Amino acid sequence: MRFAVFAGRLALGMLLIVAGGAKVGHAPDLAAAVAGFRLLPAWAVAPLALVLPFFEILLGGYLVAGLFTRVAAWVASIQLLGYAAVIAWAVLHGIPASCGCFGPSDRASADWPHVAFDAMLAVLAAAIAWRAPGALAVDERLAP
Amino acid sequence: MSRRLVAVLSLALIAAAALAAVLWTRSHPYAPVNTASRASATPAPLVVGGRAPDFSVASTAGLFELNDQTKPVFLEVFATWCPHCQRETAVLNALYRQFGSRVAFIAVSGSDVGMDHASPESQLDVLNFQTKFGPLYPIAYDGQLKVASLYLQGGYPTIVIIDKGKRVRYASSGEVGVAELRAQLEKVTNAATAGS
Repeated sequence: MRFAVFAGRLALGMLLIVAGGAKVGHAPDLAAAVAGFRLLPAWAVAPLALVLPFFEILLGGYLVAGLFTRVAAWVASIQLLGYAAVIAWAVLHGIPASCGCFGPSDRASADWPHVAFDAMLAVLAAAIAWRAPGALAVDERLAP
Repeated sequence: MSRRLVAVLSLALIAAAALAAVLWTRSHPYAPVNTASRASATPAPLVVGGRAPDFSVASTAGLFELNDQTKPVFLEVFATWCPHCQRETAVLNALYRQFGSRVAFIAVSGSDVGMDHASPESQLDVLNFQTKFGPLYPIAYDGQLKVASLYLQGGYPTIVIIDKGKRVRYASSGEVGVAELRAQLEKVTNAATAGS
């Protein structure tokens, strides 16, 4: 089980690092994609577009390293559930939004398969949080 | 190193990044129009029946590339400050509801002046336009005015309809009524259906 949690941490963490890395340096494109969901006020879109990529990389780094694993996994789970909910909202309202998950080169539009994928990742993150920290985690080496 | 120290440092890092982002966007209201490109935003006359010049923009529905479109395209070049464009949104919404599944709609900002008629246009103006006037179709901020330099026909809004073969089938400047645009879209969608 410890190595299963480690594998889950590695997979989810790397995914977040890749997704965040693909968005770095493309804040205007990400801002457009975020605005496309029509949920946030215009003034909040740019700060989010600037911070979100680095937040995803940081979260991914924590999961890969096994640092604050439980908290990082819960945060990732809530974040991914949020993505699933927002995409579902756009699909239900017929809003032509872009997933924007992997930066400007990701042309996938918001659809039900994306909702299912994000929900599945949220479950994986919750499972990691439940069984944290797993093998090869920095958490096990840190003094309390 | 203790867990508490690492936690405090991490939270401080996140808080500092968030604060820096908020302060940055307050002093730089998104990416403003690149003023160096103003000279290139000269209207080029479009020939109905001629090849539609390719363009790509990051829209609220993701990257929009003309050459990748498999449906006819309805393009609007608008200005956020322009009252005609603001009124035209209702017309385009009606058309989008009717033709949205058969036609790729895209509205692209094409002015270097912001919504307040004074400051330089920025992405924030385009997002505010979306909030205020509620276009249902994808819209895009074009900081280089590339699309305007290719398509703007004298005034705002410029509306261009492009068929599946990427030929210009209709071009207009200024407010246009829903009946005229509907007739043009029916023509181009009927031709697309017959051709497929």
